[in-house]
Amino acid sequence: MPYTLIDHTADMGVKISSPTIEMLFKEAAHALADILGGRCAQGTEEMRVQARGIDREDLLVRWLQEILYLMEVRGWRLRDAHVEELGETEVKGVLQGACVQEPLTAEIKAVTYHNLKIVHTGDVFEVTIILDM
Amino acid sequence: MAGLKLRRIDPYRIEIEKTGAMRTSGLVYANAAIERTLEQETVLQQVANVATLPGIIGPSMAMPDIHWGYGFPIGGVAAFSKEEGIISPGGVGYDINCGVCCLLTGLTINEVRPLQERLLASLYNHVPSGVGSSNKDLAVGGKEFDQVLEKGALWAVKKGYVPTEDLEAHDDNGCMEGADPDAVSKKAMERGRPQLGTLGSGNHFLELDVVDRVLDSEKAAHFGLFEGQVVVQVHTGSRGLGHQVCDDYVHDMVASSMRHGISLPDRQLACAPVTSREGQAYYGAMAAAANFAFANRELIIYLIRQTFEQVLGGSFERFGMRLLYDCCHNIAKMERIAWEGSSREVCVHRKGATRALPPGDKRLPQRFRKSGQPVLVPGDMGRMSFILSGAQGSWETFNSACHGAGRLLSRHEAKKRSKGRQILEELRSKDIHAMAASRATLAEEIPEAYKDVADVVETITGAGITTAVARLKPFAMVKG
Repeated sequence: MPYTLIDHTADMGVKISSPTIEMLFKEAAHALADILGGRCAQGTEEMRVQARGIDREDLLVRWLQEILYLMEVRGWRLRDAHVEELGETEVKGVLQGACVQEPLTAEIKAVTYHNLKIVHTGDVFEVTIILDM
Repeated sequence: MAGLKLRRIDPYRIEIEKTGAMRTSGLVYANAAIERTLEQETVLQQVANVATLPGIIGPSMAMPDIHWGYGFPIGGVAAFSKEEGIISPGGVGYDINCGVCCLLTGLTINEVRPLQERLLASLYNHVPSGVGSSNKDLAVGGKEFDQVLEKGALWAVKKGYVPTEDLEAHDDNGCMEGADPDAVSKKAMERGRPQLGTLGSGNHFLELDVVDRVLDSEKAAHFGLFEGQVVVQVHTGSRGLGHQVCDDYVHDMVASSMRHGISLPDRQLACAPVTSREGQAYYGAMAAAANFAFANRELIIYLIRQTFEQVLGGSFERFGMRLLYDCCHNIAKMERIAWEGSSREVCVHRKGATRALPPGDKRLPQRFRKSGQPVLVPGDMGRMSFILSGAQGSWETFNSACHGAGRLLSRHEAKKRSKGRQILEELRSKDIHAMAASRATLAEEIPEAYKDVADVVETITGAGITTAVARLKPFAMVKG
């Protein structure tokens, strides 16, 4: 699995490692959807996602918050996430999946900035994200 | 504890000495038993991190139910000067005005026991709980929803859901001033609107307790508590609306911290000067979310009273169902404090901490002026809870006290330890009946996932911040 869950006393952490920054954003979206119980195997609908921020860490939080909102409020279920453009202050992507009526199986209040740092070492991009559950 | 210098001051207090970028020292309320739970340096580092923020007045404090949060620790209390200080959404948390309320009844455990199964099932069916729970019956839209955000508990009274007497059983009469619905984003409105009158999930609960032991007979009588009495506790907050408000403003303040030249040891501490445009906008949105939470808990109280009426047959007034107090434990508030010989207006952040006003404080309604403010400290679902009252020593915490037992195990570890166990049966063997929307929640909430609340209460009362009034034992509960 490209991510691992990290123990945090009250909440939950996710550590993600990927060969590219775009893959890191993609895997983070998948991890979020897995935790929420919001993945779908089929789903051919598409949803565009765009977020702005002051740097890559900020962008990652905004990207995931946007997906969290779509899943919680709009009933979006994720099959796959693709990052189309990723600059220093803007990310654009497309989500594939479907809208459903069933509730999620877990609640995430928010994606936090707690000690958030994307580390690029050699061929690996790595980040640990703390989710407020 | 590499990097941090700790010094035990007395049996209830540990100082984190001012070092490095800290502008002040840290002060952790912990007896020996609580100290043993503070093994992770991260949580004490979070207390130290708060001490680096501009305009902090007095020490960066942590209540004895402290545990690892994000940005501020859970159980953190910090006051910031109105003139030079900051306001931080991360210092309030995502569940703005999460809180606990206690509804008294005039019923005894012997009267309720024969009906407890029916009562519990009816409460479970009547009060929406669980992940993404919504309440179509109580849904309000448009301008009416703005009234919820502006008026809080007062809105619930005006709509006839709850009696006027409930109002004085809240901080600020259940209506935080300065609420600005226009500062609440459309997304926050969308997330929160269907969730008014719902419990939610995670550690949120509705619990029936019996007053197991009166610890201060005079104050207990003042609060209307007696041994054998059935009371109801509710723990919930501002649901998706508060989560989104916090998220929106943490994001804004990441940029504004930079603009104002505020150096942050952790981006989750993002903040802005109290009086700045960003600071004031957050305050308006946070107060609106706080009012949503006041209204949310009042609507749940309305549903509980209705359920008792249906199951027991009679009116809630006949059953003596009166709100003792509603304790808010995630908030930032402008409060006037006595500090170093003068009166100052400060922005007190309480993240997982309850206000605890002492006897005689003029902010208290007449009925609590003699006793001090009721402080509700729920424990885990298998042991006990406490009702305390604010004491004179609370000046040193800017009138703040603990808010619960404090988590000890991660959710993952709790699930691991509950594997193969029948949690409902274990509780039943202790005469505790539980219903839960999710098995996963029950596993995460096992009693040993929390500190022993008795240690937390021993610390906070031993330090002179509160007085212990009564001990409660749970006998029926709905978990989210």
